[in-house]
Amino acid sequence: MKRLQAFAEAISRGGAIVGGAMLLVAAITICVDIFLRYAFSLTVGGADDLSGYALAISSAWGFSAALLTRSHIRIDTVYVRVKNRAARAALDLLSVAAFALFAGLLVWHGWGVFQLSYASNSHSQSAIEMPLAIPQGIWFAGLAFFLGVALLLLGRALLACARRDLDELFRLIGSKSAAAEAREEVVAVERAMEAERRE
Amino acid sequence: MTAGVSLAVLLLILGSSIAVGAGIALVGLVLNQLYSPMPLTRMMGELAWSTTSNFILTAIPFYIMFGEILLRSGIAERMYNAMTQWLSWLPGGLMHSNVGSCALFGSVSGSSVATAATIGVVAMGEIERHQYNERLFLGTLAAGGTLGILIPPSINMIIYGVMTDTSIPKLYLAGFLPGFVLTVLFSLTVLIACLWKPAWGGRKIETSWAERWRTLPDLLPPLVLLLIVVGAIFFGLATATESAAVGILGALAITAWRRRLTFSMLREVCEGTVRTTAMVVAILVAAFFLNVVIQTIGLTQQLGKLIAAYQLSPVEVLSAVILLYLVLGTFMEELSMMISTIPITTPLILQAGYDPVWFGVLLVLLIQTAMISPPFGINLFVIHGIRARGMLADVEIGSAPFVIALLVMIALICFFPGIVMWLPQAVG
Repeated sequence: MKRLQAFAEAISRGGAIVGGAMLLVAAITICVDIFLRYAFSLTVGGADDLSGYALAISSAWGFSAALLTRSHIRIDTVYVRVKNRAARAALDLLSVAAFALFAGLLVWHGWGVFQLSYASNSHSQSAIEMPLAIPQGIWFAGLAFFLGVALLLLGRALLACARRDLDELFRLIGSKSAAAEAREEVVAVERAMEAERRE
Repeated sequence: MTAGVSLAVLLLILGSSIAVGAGIALVGLVLNQLYSPMPLTRMMGELAWSTTSNFILTAIPFYIMFGEILLRSGIAERMYNAMTQWLSWLPGGLMHSNVGSCALFGSVSGSSVATAATIGVVAMGEIERHQYNERLFLGTLAAGGTLGILIPPSINMIIYGVMTDTSIPKLYLAGFLPGFVLTVLFSLTVLIACLWKPAWGGRKIETSWAERWRTLPDLLPPLVLLLIVVGAIFFGLATATESAAVGILGALAITAWRRRLTFSMLREVCEGTVRTTAMVVAILVAAFFLNVVIQTIGLTQQLGKLIAAYQLSPVEVLSAVILLYLVLGTFMEELSMMISTIPITTPLILQAGYDPVWFGVLLVLLIQTAMISPPFGINLFVIHGIRARGMLADVEIGSAPFVIALLVMIALICFFPGIVMWLPQAVG
């Protein structure tokens, strides 16, 4: 199961990078679009559609990346005051179970959206007439992967619980304190600044 | 009754530290189960797709990416040094450069955390070198950082605009003057403190006119970006999303000019952008779902009736909402606080006859206050994290005078709404 998670982590990291690249490409496409609009009064169209798809797809694939890196925000005002480890573990399990439920709902009803576009062969209304099933299919795959990751984490955490290995459970799904979160932000900036100084 | 139960469910679920996105969805499910005549979950698929493929919302990942690139572009350090040359003659020295740099960086960044982190890292080494009062110095960074979301562009304003159907360009215009006034108020706070206790102001820094002119061009990159990103919106040349896209290109160009553009840097940017975006979008999708549930079960009308029954005047409603945010802001994470409460508070405020643009700016000021009020204030954590020693209480105490400045600012826009509304009305 550990290997399964490493595998999932690799995929979700890849998904995040590809999703980010899509956003970058979308931004550049928009710039080209604006340039053509003002320089040659040309409207190509479609750039706004594409960037919408980029957001939908990159966030669907990003949900799992955020879950695996424990980046989803939790209000931990109460959590940090709970000193009992078992109670904390219960809160962590509750949180990841809620995510699995949320993901399940998104997948269940997201399938309907994809299926409808596919069956009725709908196209986007803009100039590019993109068959909606394509972006929605990739989007749906991201949601399904998110559900898989949520269930995997829930499963591993429950197993750790059964083994009474709470440290493992906290490593998997524990709440990252806001202070730790802030620290990560700072480390990113510091690394960037150091690169600057080296030059 | 419904209102009471809803609030109780919301506080119970979010209080039990369930991740905010999943938690808000859960609140929606519970309320749907309890009060709605039909199962609204069926809408979730359509809602998730239409929300996330919305072109206006694409501005959010774009601004996040813009920030991630700026962070790695190396403009902050030079900008800070130039600010020092121009502002440090004031009593309080570098602390004014802190505020000024935050304001300038905030005018290209849409995030308060990014602003505080970037300027904080640059400035932190100066405390000991010039013997400043450490607490006040830390306070200027935590408080100055919050300017990131008031001075346009602003991720929070985009979220507010999309959730309440308010014009984002108008919100941006409305944020400018308050942003400027608040910057002055922050500087004034430093000035008063240092006139009262001159020892807090640290040692004087050598400046010269020659040096001032030499460093002036270092202020240019952020100014040019500001002009592109915000100017395009104001002159109606581009939408908020488009201008964010242009900003990304501009930031990439500056990064390339500084020879910092590499593949590994781009990979980091992409990964960081998607992680942060996904976290925000998870909360947004859930909040849109909760919004539908709240409307279907008639929660807002109920609250409206309640207010009518108690014959609350608009001013009383407004005071209640401000108080609610000041209380929530002490212990709730700011973004979650904003997104989960907008569906409830905004309709109330609009019913009471206030302008949605004006309330948007008020809301941002309240969020800023929350960011530096203990025990939970994200900017306090950021600055404490950079300092990496001492107690969090130092940052909290140092930020306290600026909380007062923010409260003064909030009172100012309540008594003189013109500070907010003048610019959007003048432009159109």
